[in-house]
Formats: sequence, structure tokens, C-alpha cells
Amino acid sequence: LSERTALRHNINLMQLVYGKPASKSSNEMKDTSEEESEDDEFFKPKGEGNKKSKEGVNDNDVDIDDCSKFLSNGSIKDWKSEDLIASIRDRFVTGDWSK
Amino acid sequence: MGKISYMRLKGSQNLRLRLLLSTLSTTPILIEDIRADATWPGLRPHEVSLLRLLEKISDDCVVEINETGTKLKYKPGIVIGGRHLVHDCGTSRAIGYFLEPLIVLGLFGKKALSIRLKGITNDSKDPSVDTFRSTTLPMLKQFGIPPEGLDLKIQSCGVPPHGGGEVILSIPIVQDSLKAITWIDEGMVKRIRGVTFSTKVSVQFENTMIHAARGIFNRLLPDVHIFTDHKAGEQAGKSPGYGISLFAETTSGCFISADTAVSYGREDDEGELDDEKKELSPPGDIGEKIASALLGEIEQGGVVDSTHQGLLFLLCALCPQDVSKVRVGKLSPYGIEVLRHIRDFLGVKFVIKPDPSTETVILKCVGCGLKNLSRKDN
Repeated sequence: LSERTALRHNINLMQLVYGKPASKSSNEMKDTSEEESEDDEFFKPKGEGNKKSKEGVNDNDVDIDDCSKFLSNGSIKDWKSEDLIASIRDRFVTGDWSK
Repeated sequence: MGKISYMRLKGSQNLRLRLLLSTLSTTPILIEDIRADATWPGLRPHEVSLLRLLEKISDDCVVEINETGTKLKYKPGIVIGGRHLVHDCGTSRAIGYFLEPLIVLGLFGKKALSIRLKGITNDSKDPSVDTFRSTTLPMLKQFGIPPEGLDLKIQSCGVPPHGGGEVILSIPIVQDSLKAITWIDEGMVKRIRGVTFSTKVSVQFENTMIHAARGIFNRLLPDVHIFTDHKAGEQAGKSPGYGISLFAETTSGCFISADTAVSYGREDDEGELDDEKKELSPPGDIGEKIASALLGEIEQGGVVDSTHQGLLFLLCALCPQDVSKVRVGKLSPYGIEVLRHIRDFLGVKFVIKPDPSTETVILKCVGCGLKNLSRKDN
């Protein structure tokens, strides 16, 4: 089962980034993928509608600021809590290596 | 002269990425509808400034903008590079905005690039120049770029709204092409370093930030050193502000960074007027916030932080026709945009596979084999 979920997850990531397999990167396919595709918005002669459906964080804001910095406002955790500290302890050289 | 066929694009989003990839792949682009419906239509000052910068470093590059700035034609030229160039980045975006495309273009120039950039060195939107020094430049070395001649000197600091900062960037050219990499070992964090800065405010602000940040790290790692860099006089730019840039170095030589800066907002930025007109966040909060952000990035478990994902993917795609394999944490929205644009311009598609055991993502690609052609013209 875990393999299957992994596989599904895998496809989802590819789809999330590149769009449905059918729409690939070829320009001819653009008519069929008009409604749902999240890629190819750049090639469309009348591409207003589909930008709205673009997945990801930049939803319906085509004029969003061009920032590489990922501002995860609000999702910052309280790193003073013991549990959280324990959860990343092994990412440090001071962590427990025996595992 | 033959008719040039333009790749037609729409909207203002990712202009920087489009211009960069257009130049690298020598694909002329035509962008329409640039903020056509906005109250202030057309290109923003920093976008125009970026175009001017591209003209400055390349030969035979043609930029045409219509009267309202909603339509842009860009025919890339050959990146020449050169020494002792100067560019004023303006104050609408920080220097980080310009550095990101510039370091990649510089690598594929005819001559090594050395350029003096003026404007805002630290703000909350773009990676600060300190982060570029500590994290971005070491990252380039992974791709076989010689460390000699790769440098960013910070002459003076400048924060919004008036800037006044100045840096000198030196970028060597790649002799032939980059080196494909397999970079999936993120290692364990062995030390945390960082630097704070303050301009036209008390140096005590820095100490408070450092104290707060150390408080967060203390229970995890003893090897934490954060330096202060109080600027005075000429070096302090034109506006008051303070900030912090932290990075974690791992046993496998990865650098994970987080940074921010606080200052009074730009007057022309309507969107941010509300939050930034009020008092600045206290330095203690900033220190804690950035330390937490850094731990958040470390938790993700990639070989780079989410800010550098885009650059990492781009460099992988520019590699010779070999397989590159990298590990990152959760894909950032900008990283995803970069992946899409890489496919559109360079025809490189990544195989993206999650690694459920570590909750990271492994990306594999075969580079497009970009050679430094401009160099061969010599």
C-alpha cells in the first residue's frame, strides 16, 4: 500500500509542476487542456481564464511580486517547545547518531 | 535581417526569470498585458532597471517597450560582461532581485564580470547581500565554478526606503560548461553562523537580535556565532534599519540560510503601507523569527533552503547532458515556477519524486548542455 501511495504522490508532484500528462509541454494540446491545465498559460492567445485555475500559492494573482524568497508567514512554529526541538535534533551533529 | 520569431508571453509574472532564460536560450520574447488592468499599468521601475542592466552587460540586445509599458519586446544579445561596470538598481527592489539573474548570466559571459550595484542591500523581500555571500556563492562551487574571482564585496549598507547601499559583484566565466552534480546528502548541521547589521540605529539593536536568536539555538547546538556589523557614517546608507542573516553549515557542505531586515516602508508601496507604517518590529522578535525560520528550513531537509531552490534547479538544467540529482525540502512556489519556465525555454523536464522516508523531494534531470558560446568567439 505504501508503495502505491508513494507512486500516486509521485505523479501528483509531477502534475502539480508540469500539469496533466495529456497537456505535456506541446503547444498543440492547448485546446484540450484549456480548463484545467496549470501550465502553458504563456502560449495561449487568450489566456486570461486559465491563470485563475493555476495551482499553487500564486493563485489568481498574475501580477504577483517576483520573489524567490519564500515567506512562510504564519507557519512559523514555536521552536521553543521541547517536542519540536526533539524532532529535529537528529539533523544536527549533536543529535543521536545511533539510529 | 530576417524576421524574428518571438515567443509570446503574457502578464508581468516572473519577468526576471523569463528575461534570464530568454537570454540563456537566445529566445526572443514578446510579453503583452503587463499589468494592463492595474491602476498603474506597465513595467515597474525595478523591471525597467533590470532591462537596462541586461543591456549594459550584453551586446546587441534589443529592448522595446510600448508607451504605457504594458508590452515588451526583448531580443537577447550576447552576454559580454566586463570590468568596472556600474548600475543603479533604484529603490523599488533590493539588489538581491538583480543579483539572482546576474550571477547566472555572468557565468555565461564572454569576459568575467565585475559590477558595482547601488541601491538597497537588505530588505524583507529579497535575499540580502549577506546571504548571497554566505550561501549563494558557495552553492555555485558545487557546479564546478572556481572560487577564484567569485566574490561579493559589501561597500555600504542601504535599507528601504532610500537605499544608499553599494556592493561589488565579481563573477568568473565558466570555461566550457557547468558540471553535473549528484547532491542528495544534506548532512547534519555542524555550525550556525550569521551576521546582523544596523544602519542609523543603536548597535544595541543587533545585540538584542543575536541574544534572541541564540536563545532558540542554544538547546540544539553550541557552535553558534553571530557577528555584528554596525555601519556608521557613509557606510550606513540613507535610511535607518536593522536585520539579520543566518546560515547553517552541514557536514556535507550544504548551506541553509534565512534572513530579513526591518526598516520603514517605501512610500510608493501601497500594499505594504498598512503593516509597515506602524512601529518597526522589535529586534528581539526579529531575531527569534529568523532563528525559527532557519530551524524550519533545516527541518525540511533539502540540500538548499527554499529560497535557493530556483537557482539550484536552473543550474542543474544548464548542466551538460548528464544526469543531475538533487534533494530539496518542500517545493517552494517560486521553485515550481522555475521548473515550468525551464521546461518552456530549455526543454528540460525534471523527474520529481518524493522520498517519503525523509519527507523530501528528489529531482532528477538531464541538463540542456548549455555551453559558454560567447567565450568561443574570442
